Amino acid sequence: MNLGARRLTAVRTDEEAFEGLFRAEYARVVRIANRVLADPHEAEDVAQEVFIDFHRLHSATADYAPAWLHRAAAHASLNRLRGARRRQKREVAQAMEEGDKTLDPQKQAELSEDRRRLRQALGKLAPKPAAVLVLRASGLSYAEVAQALGVGIGQIGTLLRRAEATLRKEVTRGTSS
Amino acid sequence: MAHLAEGTLRRMVDDPDAKVGADAAHLHGCAECEARFKSIAGDASAIATLLAVPEANVDLAKAFARVSREPAAQPALGLRFPILRPVGRPALALVAAVLVAAIAVVGFAFSGLFFKPATVKAVPVTVADVQALSQLADYGTVSWTKQPDLHVVTSAPDAEAVAGFSAPQAAGLPKGVSTNVTYAAMPQAQAVFTFSAEKAAAAAASHGKTAPKLPAGMDGATLTVTVGPAIGEVYGNLQNSSGASSGDTINLPQLIVVKSAAPTVTSTQVTTKQLEDFILAQPGITPQLKNAIKAIGDPSTTLLIPVPIEYTSSTTVTVQGVDGVALGDNTGVGSGVVWVKGGYVFAIAGSVKQSDAINIANNLK
Repeated sequence: MNLGARRLTAVRTDEEAFEGLFRAEYARVVRIANRVLADPHEAEDVAQEVFIDFHRLHSATADYAPAWLHRAAAHASLNRLRGARRRQKREVAQAMEEGDKTLDPQKQAELSEDRRRLRQALGKLAPKPAAVLVLRASGLSYAEVAQALGVGIGQIGTLLRRAEATLRKEVTRGTSS
Repeated sequence: MAHLAEGTLRRMVDDPDAKVGADAAHLHGCAECEARFKSIAGDASAIATLLAVPEANVDLAKAFARVSREPAAQPALGLRFPILRPVGRPALALVAAVLVAAIAVVGFAFSGLFFKPATVKAVPVTVADVQALSQLADYGTVSWTKQPDLHVVTSAPDAEAVAGFSAPQAAGLPKGVSTNVTYAAMPQAQAVFTFSAEKAAAAAASHGKTAPKLPAGMDGATLTVTVGPAIGEVYGNLQNSSGASSGDTINLPQLIVVKSAAPTVTSTQVTTKQLEDFILAQPGITPQLKNAIKAIGDPSTTLLIPVPIEYTSSTTVTVQGVDGVALGDNTGVGSGVVWVKGGYVFAIAGSVKQSDAINIANNLK
């Protein structure tokens, strides 16, 4: 096989590997972003950017590919949450719309307000505890979260607790004020 | 036994693997830990409820079609560099290209039995020189023993975790430079270039030229180039490209700060002198470049910064008490500073005035 043919085969293999990776991980990457943004459309936007960035920078056959995507999804969506572009009104509307229909309107409004406040506080958390919380809440195992963030599995519980305690305090403070 | 740590208790809430052994036994026999566990579980449950969202229904085929439309970068030697985006700002592109090319060219231009730069020096190059030098890549094969693995991260600590050293902290930024920083970090990467007489002859023949004769013993000789670890900090919005794409230019963000462990090169079978003579014998190398290279005192400790003389100028400056090379001018269109100190290569480049670039360099911590 000449050099040109070998290159072509390598490119094709990489493209196939990328498609396989996309099919295997896209829904999970969207889920991570959606957990942060509470907006499926924006979450898909973030997920697609994450995959495009990955494709530009890395080979889809890399062992670390899923871990990289999970971490990037968490950081990219948290960044968006922190950014000025965040459409807070839309978030509230979304929460209202998707709220528990069995609750009375006042309870539902309170829950929506708590959700809005929680995401506001999430955007202010230190990057690592915030990412741990988001990844775990999106269904990643402790081992997967540890791998995605490059920290020891023993640290995950501590980071998770730190994030949850801070957020609970923020939400409670808002409710009691 | 001491009471259980909060992290341990938290993990016991939803990780069955954690609720075993001595820790589990302690939890069941300790009222205090049991109470803390309940409180931690309560917080976890409350936050999980607030974070709950309806599942997004994804259209996999449509999403893949959009992602596939974006071309994957396929630069030479397998390096993928996210900062280089094509836009129509050739003047800025040039300064960036010079900085990026410095590391690449030095691997070929000055490699000896041992190369580790302790200082920098500018050498004038023309487009012809760059073309001549780039042919050298066809004179053998490159294989990565440690693949470049660039991580784009959101914080300095994350970048530090990848690189293993402290991230540079820029101070004294001029007004107008964005405080939106993207961090990129890379662990050490290593490539081995193996000279091949056969490939050299074939490459020269494909250009209708005859390659200079390889020195005795050079066929099969290897150059091992080690770069990084490195941290890069990019100020400004990378997505915000402006102007029309021309495909051959590079977008320069407002400011780039790079700290990299000094590159090293080791070789087998060839000496610095043999390599230097061979490189300078390449067809197309200009007399200016030959003279500049011959004038370098100790090539094994000097990092060469190729300066395209048709486009930009360079001056020697003192940065943080050592010699550095400053590129560009005070128009604010583009400038850069490169210096070597304490085993690290530092580079600052951006669409700032040269005096600002030097000021940032001097205040870098």
